[in-house]
Amino acid sequence: MSSWEDDDSAAAAAAAAAASTDVELLKRAWRNEKASPEILRFDSPLVSRVREQIQLLEETLDDFGESGVDDLVVSLYQMDLDRTLFLLRSYLRLRLQKIEKYMMHISKSEDLLSRLSQQEQRFAKSCTEMMEKHLEQSVLSKLPYGYDSVTRQSLSSTEDDMVPEPQLDTFVFCKTKSDVGAFQLDDIGEEVVDLVADDLYVLRYKSIKGLVESGQIDLI
Amino acid sequence: MYGRRASQLLKEVDSCEAGQLVPFNSDVFDQVIRECNEHNTQFQSLIRKMVEQNLDIETTRNDDHYGAAVHHLSLLRNKRCLMAYMYKTEISQYNRAEVIQSFRWKIGPVLPHEIQEKLHFSEKEYFKNHSAAIKSYMSEMDIDLTVDMVPPKDPYIQVRVLEDIGEVSLGEHSISLTKNSLHFLRRTDTEQFISQGLMEEFLE
Repeated sequence: MSSWEDDDSAAAAAAAAAASTDVELLKRAWRNEKASPEILRFDSPLVSRVREQIQLLEETLDDFGESGVDDLVVSLYQMDLDRTLFLLRSYLRLRLQKIEKYMMHISKSEDLLSRLSQQEQRFAKSCTEMMEKHLEQSVLSKLPYGYDSVTRQSLSSTEDDMVPEPQLDTFVFCKTKSDVGAFQLDDIGEEVVDLVADDLYVLRYKSIKGLVESGQIDLI
Repeated sequence: MYGRRASQLLKEVDSCEAGQLVPFNSDVFDQVIRECNEHNTQFQSLIRKMVEQNLDIETTRNDDHYGAAVHHLSLLRNKRCLMAYMYKTEISQYNRAEVIQSFRWKIGPVLPHEIQEKLHFSEKEYFKNHSAAIKSYMSEMDIDLTVDMVPPKDPYIQVRVLEDIGEVSLGEHSISLTKNSLHFLRRTDTEQFISQGLMEEFLE
């Protein structure tokens, strides 16, 4: 039996799905991905739903071609299809480029890896291997013993100090979807903002990360 | 001065326009590698000297200790610069690997001769492997990500053919794309030709 909370969130998700189309949802995921410094969770069900719709639209267009529907109508459908396709491609591309940028950082964190789709995980893995091989043969193999690690500066480093990471404390523009209320921006509670529905803010990404993940706030 | 050559490499990358690539500077690169090994030799000999004098390397703070520290830190500095030149992003805003990755999206799987010349052999190999990884991702997902690089405005565009392409079949029609001819085509059909530099969008 599911708990009340599950019911609540399921109801909320159903309401959100009813309120906006999948393409709208994809647009939001795309916008968030574009503005966020780190990689966000991949929404597999959403992407497969959008792909189904794209296929349907393509079939409809083919039917139109055969039955001789007005060209204007056809080109409107075509435009809609083109836009959706662009959104999907751009979204996937954006994620690959982010993976390229932070591949080593992502590969060594289970949490980050779990945000990727299976195909993206494979991509990240092979990218990291290739990059390591490339750095190995161009630079590291020529350096003296003790200084030849990809992730550490030298043997005396106690942690990985040469892995580029995204800057999570960068500022982002964001828009609240609903009233969040008094929200604490730092750990000690000195900075508190009242987040009102449909308002614009410029905040540190790190402090609103949780709200982005739970979908209470959109990055723009 | 220690570390100056290495910073020269980074200045070269940084002074370059975004998205462009300077030829791989193997002269300076090799000099920095030599410098690194020289630092290591000096470092080792200073440490050996201290061991021979029966000093505790962990706690002794004499001239030799600071000499060794300077060599160690200079080596680290050089290493960081070399890595930043090739890949790491924390020091330099642009780095070679990122530019090379972006070529796959902007130009395609085959690089023109002018760019090939600028690459280190390992970079060429990396580009090839990286392209293959993108290709296998696209075939797993069954989607071509190399088209649709800019948001579509109109499903059709007017293009001018820059090089003789010959007979091409697009959908149900087959058309002959001769140099300097103008065509009104579906945008998705033209993208691959545009990215290869065989066509350009014709704007009146």
